[in-house]
Amino acid sequence: MVVRLFLISSQENIDFSMLSFFRVIKFAIQDFFRNFSLSFMTILTLVLMLLSVNALIAFRVVGQHAIEMVEDQINISIYFSHTASDEHISEIVGFVQSFPEVEQTTFKTPDQVLEEFRTQHAANHEILASLDELGENPLGATLIVKTNNPEDYENIITAIDIPEYQDIIDAQTFGDTQAAIENIRNITERVERVSLSLAIMFGLIAFIIIFNTIRVAIYTQREEISIKKLVGATDWFVKGPYIVQSIFFTVISIAVTSYLVMFIWSRFDPYWGLIWHQADFLTNYYNSNILFLLSSQTAAVLVLTIFSATLAMRRYLRT
Amino acid sequence: MISLESVSKKYNRKSVALEDVSLFIEPGEMVSIVGQSGSGKTTLVKLLIAEERASSGRVKIGDWDITRVSRRDVPLLRRQIGVIFQDFKLLAKKTVYENVAFALQVAGESPFRIREVVPEVIEIVGLQDKMSRYPHQLSGGEQQRVVIARSLVHRPKIIVADEPTGNLDAINTQEIIDILSKINDFGTTILLVTHNKDVVNHLRKRVITIHGGQIVSDQQSGKYRL
Repeated sequence: MVVRLFLISSQENIDFSMLSFFRVIKFAIQDFFRNFSLSFMTILTLVLMLLSVNALIAFRVVGQHAIEMVEDQINISIYFSHTASDEHISEIVGFVQSFPEVEQTTFKTPDQVLEEFRTQHAANHEILASLDELGENPLGATLIVKTNNPEDYENIITAIDIPEYQDIIDAQTFGDTQAAIENIRNITERVERVSLSLAIMFGLIAFIIIFNTIRVAIYTQREEISIKKLVGATDWFVKGPYIVQSIFFTVISIAVTSYLVMFIWSRFDPYWGLIWHQADFLTNYYNSNILFLLSSQTAAVLVLTIFSATLAMRRYLRT
Repeated sequence: MISLESVSKKYNRKSVALEDVSLFIEPGEMVSIVGQSGSGKTTLVKLLIAEERASSGRVKIGDWDITRVSRRDVPLLRRQIGVIFQDFKLLAKKTVYENVAFALQVAGESPFRIREVVPEVIEIVGLQDKMSRYPHQLSGGEQQRVVIARSLVHRPKIIVADEPTGNLDAINTQEIIDILSKINDFGTTILLVTHNKDVVNHLRKRVITIHGGQIVSDQQSGKYRL
């Protein structure tokens, strides 16, 4: 770029030099403290928005854990006929285990089933007396099946509900638990849908509030921006301190929010512990996902504040 | 040297701020531009500092065509023209020293040079004892002197003063005009936009009168005639 210097011959340098870079940081620090009430309010708004987002995260984590716990307690039992041969039973067990959806199977021999039956009905002397009367074990072996997802149970039941197995399998409990599984599935879907809607709503509210907070902060300094331009500051020299301040706002609000979230979640943990017999549930979740949570929130707030500041300043930089 | 060749500025068909204005100002001149409110005086200032672009014609400072100056070069232009405004335009959160220094900092001047030059210009306007004060702690006259110091800090060859005494009382007005006259004595071209009759008559320098966006008179040693 050739610039005709007709008035003064000093070393004009329009580039964003290292000296200018340090000055921008210096001005950012100066402006941050000299407009402290504005800085404080901006950070407070960011912290409140981040707390809302973290509350939503906690809601999702707790909801998902509750569903997982209920799902974990669901399984199906396949009761074999007491006349079924070991060979046929082994064939069906092998067949069921061959399904990739099957997470775990537990096989109980007729003797184990009888033992459990006796233990369960130890108080009912009539049932025990009837058993003794029979003189032999009327109960067959049982296979307890657990799948990765509740939806998979239907596939297993359909697969074994064939004529060849009708004489071997007495019953299965899926019919009893089908309704419960359906309910769980419905609840899961609803919780997911509500969480997603809340996430979108909170995200939108956070975006609008942060955007407007930064816009108002810039608006109050529009006069300063135009003065800086009139005395010969380049766009970058004017924008720089606001961008650096956006970084300050982000770092401070993320740090304050992290501290508050850890504090609040640790206060809630004893209550979850009572329900789930799991100590420090939320704190452990936060600690094990701290990198993701901090980096994603920092990146989101940083992009949002810088974007808002740049957009808000654009019209005042035209002078 | 400042030259305007058939310059017009139209905001829209009905709003014409300047129409076919041509003038030539020699280096070292002190020229008063007078006219009623809305006559186009401030538009002229805005054209000179590239705050506005001429709709037609050519504005030149030295051999630099301001009508064609790129957005990127505007800061360079503004660092080389001292501008004084009626409403001071000082940075409220910066001290007197920092306001003056800022004009050098934007130009990338070294801290050493800033420490050397800034106290010098502040002393010229007589505010050496108030360097650490903020604008709101100064009187109107003092604030305008800070603006003059800021405009001087680059040692410009041209100073454009847009109603510099508009917000000042008679005593402060006289002080500011005296400072500008002294600066002119050292060879700096001064373009004084004003509607203060007493100031213009007292100066006895060249007077250009604008009316309805056009130059209606240009006298080498004139008086305020509106």
